[in-house]
Amino acid sequence: MQQPYLEPHQARTRVPNSFEDLLGDSIERAFAVGIHDLPGLVGYLNQAGPTCPGGEPWTEDAYKTLMARLGE
Amino acid sequence: MSTVDPVEQLLANGLKNLWYPICPTGFIADKPVSLRRLGYKLALWRDTDGTLHALEDHCPHRGAPLSRGVNLGDRLQCPYHGVEVRCDGVTTRVPGSPGCKLEGSQATRYFHVTEAAGAVWLYNSAGNIEEAPPLVLPEQLSSAEFSHFLCYAEWRGDYRYVLDNVMDPMHGTYLHKQSHSMSEGESHAKFVTRDTDTGFIFEKDGQRGVNFDWTEWADTGVHWMRLEIPYPKTGGPGGNFHIVGSYTPISRELSAVFHWRCRPLTGWQRDTWRFLYKNRLEARHWAVLEQDREMLEFMEPDANQRENLYQHDLGLVRLRRHMKNLAKAQLELIEARQL
Repeated sequence: MQQPYLEPHQARTRVPNSFEDLLGDSIERAFAVGIHDLPGLVGYLNQAGPTCPGGEPWTEDAYKTLMARLGE
Repeated sequence: MSTVDPVEQLLANGLKNLWYPICPTGFIADKPVSLRRLGYKLALWRDTDGTLHALEDHCPHRGAPLSRGVNLGDRLQCPYHGVEVRCDGVTTRVPGSPGCKLEGSQATRYFHVTEAAGAVWLYNSAGNIEEAPPLVLPEQLSSAEFSHFLCYAEWRGDYRYVLDNVMDPMHGTYLHKQSHSMSEGESHAKFVTRDTDTGFIFEKDGQRGVNFDWTEWADTGVHWMRLEIPYPKTGGPGGNFHIVGSYTPISRELSAVFHWRCRPLTGWQRDTWRFLYKNRLEARHWAVLEQDREMLEFMEPDANQRENLYQHDLGLVRLRRHMKNLAKAQLELIEARQL
């Protein structure tokens, strides 16, 4: 008898890396304090981290480009 | 010697002439796959251009599994004696006995299959039919306004326990009390039922947008259920989180459980939700579903034969009655050879 299919992770293609985990933490913290707009979120990331890949400050464009890839 | 109740048997195998989700699309590649669903053993495979096909996994010659044979594009070759069966159920070749009666006959059940929302869908026709009606899904799965993820799982037990579970919003307040999204709201409620064009809504009287407060059941040629649950603040912009569910019997002891998690989002908000879902929310949603699975799997197969129902159970009572009536109507048509 085959075991029933029970796979908790069906959306992701690989295990998240530590940058993604830190970014997720930071986004959730920003949302939790009521920051729901993009300029506010970008400001929060620049203040609280993680650092934007490449080392430059977060911009709206940089955030959108990265999210389009991570949220495919 | 017990007699088999035909209504019960029809319901246990799944009502006819409906679309059912079968498995995630990624389960089927060019190598034929054998899956038990809806009282059948099915052979599913992909043609050279990726088109899906489904036959009953039963060679018309002597019943060997076609799924263990050779994929010849639009047909399978049975590994036992080389009999070739096309995707429309016609035996195109019997190499061991060319020209025999089986050659050219449509001796195999075939099924119309399509792909949508990350799932393979099969039209459970009562017999072989030329064309299936279009697959009609709720806006959460068909509109570009929504983003969605499929979560597929196989739970032990009859699929009707899963229907009962989703038609019972009040369990959210208790079973899911310690989940990320269902800790709010009143611990008691009065429920009311409201008809829709495609089915009905079962909802808490006076509480909306706080917890798991309502369930919709619908028949659009697919039986699906829909509900909304508020996200906590950490879920960010985008409002409630919508769940669409559809459930398919694998056997009396196993159910194919499909939940699509959906949110009406676009642009950076959509991408952010999708990132968070893949990174962490999927695991939280999974933990909630596991609570349901464990509860249902620990219930005895005949648990629903000895119940004392109360006001919260009006929704599942109505759904059970409706399903039974649909089954009776289908049986009459089958007996009159009109289905």
